[in-house]
Amino acid sequence: MPRMPRSIWNGTITFGLIAVPIKVHSATEGHAIHFHQVHEEDGARIKQKRICTEEGREVPYEEVAMGYEVRGGEFVMLDKDEIDAAAGEPSRTIGLDQFVDRAEVDPVFYDRAYYLGAGKDGHDAYRLLHDALARSGRAGIGRWVFHNREYLVAVRPIDDAGVLILHTMRFADELVADDKLDIPRPSRKPSDRELEMAERLVQSLQKPFRPGAFKDTYRDRVRELIARKAKGEEIELPEIEAPEAPGDLTAALEASLAGKKPNGKR
Amino acid sequence: MPRALWSGSLSFGLVNVPVLMVTAVRDLDLHFRQLHKKDGAPIEVQRWCSKEDVEVPYEEIVRAFELEDGGQVTISDEELEAIAPSRTRTIEIDQFVDVAEVDPIYFDHPYYLVPASEDDGSARAYRLLGDVMARTDRAAVGQFVMRAREYLAIVRAHGGALMLSTMLFADEVRPSKGVDAATQKSHKPSAQELKAAVAVIEELSGAWEPGEWKDRYRRRLQDVVARKRKGQTIKAPKPREPGPEAPDLMAALEQTLAEMRHGKSGKRRQKQEA
Repeated sequence: MPRMPRSIWNGTITFGLIAVPIKVHSATEGHAIHFHQVHEEDGARIKQKRICTEEGREVPYEEVAMGYEVRGGEFVMLDKDEIDAAAGEPSRTIGLDQFVDRAEVDPVFYDRAYYLGAGKDGHDAYRLLHDALARSGRAGIGRWVFHNREYLVAVRPIDDAGVLILHTMRFADELVADDKLDIPRPSRKPSDRELEMAERLVQSLQKPFRPGAFKDTYRDRVRELIARKAKGEEIELPEIEAPEAPGDLTAALEASLAGKKPNGKR
Repeated sequence: MPRALWSGSLSFGLVNVPVLMVTAVRDLDLHFRQLHKKDGAPIEVQRWCSKEDVEVPYEEIVRAFELEDGGQVTISDEELEAIAPSRTRTIEIDQFVDVAEVDPIYFDHPYYLVPASEDDGSARAYRLLGDVMARTDRAAVGQFVMRAREYLAIVRAHGGALMLSTMLFADEVRPSKGVDAATQKSHKPSAQELKAAVAVIEELSGAWEPGEWKDRYRRRLQDVVARKRKGQTIKAPKPREPGPEAPDLMAALEQTLAEMRHGKSGKRRQKQEA
């Protein structure tokens, strides 16, 4: 059994008078390839320096405070402790104030994901919360104070795994409304025939979602590129252009349904 | 409209929809600038060369990868695009899925796709794809490359627009197997306990109204800044009393239900700041 990395937070989830001791673990990890910034002419690493704009000299970290600009050039100066005070009362409790139908929550609201494990003496309560959420189809909504910041969170079971997951949530006012976008209107709506053909195309490409079927192949290509450059190879730079919109939408749909493949496919 | 972060084509069979990608989230966080404590002057972060000890303009900075033998190779943006030319400019739809089937753990960052040009062909192809996904209640899945990274993406109709969410690859989600989820038989609740817990949840249930949940942290931080500006001292709040201890689950469930039914806990809307 793979060992879970150690917990990053311990505390208690409550709903009503029921207390569920829990541990929080990260549920995700990045695999991006990391680069350094270097100076082109000599390949030396770039380092960042904090320079005081008044004195023009470097400022050690201990002499740095945070400033909030209230008006052009006028700052309110705060210490880190003062900013941390905004997190609210340090708390080891996540109170689930409300429960909602999971199917009602658009996935756009879910931000970061964490697994919850049962805390000390909390196994029965953990199982009970999990099973009650699974049975009712609901998620619990509450607030979580973590790393000097308060988050809105949702707690839900993951299908079949028996595990509870906690998501930090985006706030509604952080989402850009779609009426803020400039979307040109077409001169006429898609015809019934076009819609019908597009629907057949959707159906022909419909499959159950299997996350493991998708691989980040780019990572390997970057590694290969690094190896080629290390050998001193020249890399050819092709002209890259995006395909254009079809002049005749109906004809493009017909050709797609006939199983024609786009040119220059990967 | 927010600025474009990527431009290319969304392709669906032989139908290409030239699109621009813009963010779907606004950054409403309060941003602080570093100041020099002594004189209150803003601090500028500059990039310096570690060898020559001079400031380096942005155009002279390149990406480098360190090799195992201690050497390094530099890689340009153009080279990173050249290794995946089609995915750099095209999101090719591989399949359509039922969104409800995709666990939300895979959803990462949301964006909108908007037609890249005013021409009627683009607008119609865009509209057709949105309409057909809304009608069939399906979302499109494909992959693309942006800023030297490959992304898995799900595109769906959202109002009159197409929304794209980047997704995590399966290997970026840790297996949940190692989590202590109390799955042993001995932890299974009794039928009576489960019934009571579901009753508590139902009692506390309501519609998901995202607009009702406010970012209290943002508001408190604004308040901290305003108080500090008036010269007040800011004190860290005291830790709250430790959480309730309730070792007897059935007793806690019964007491919760009894209080709810007597209307004692009629403060369901605790999310609003007191």
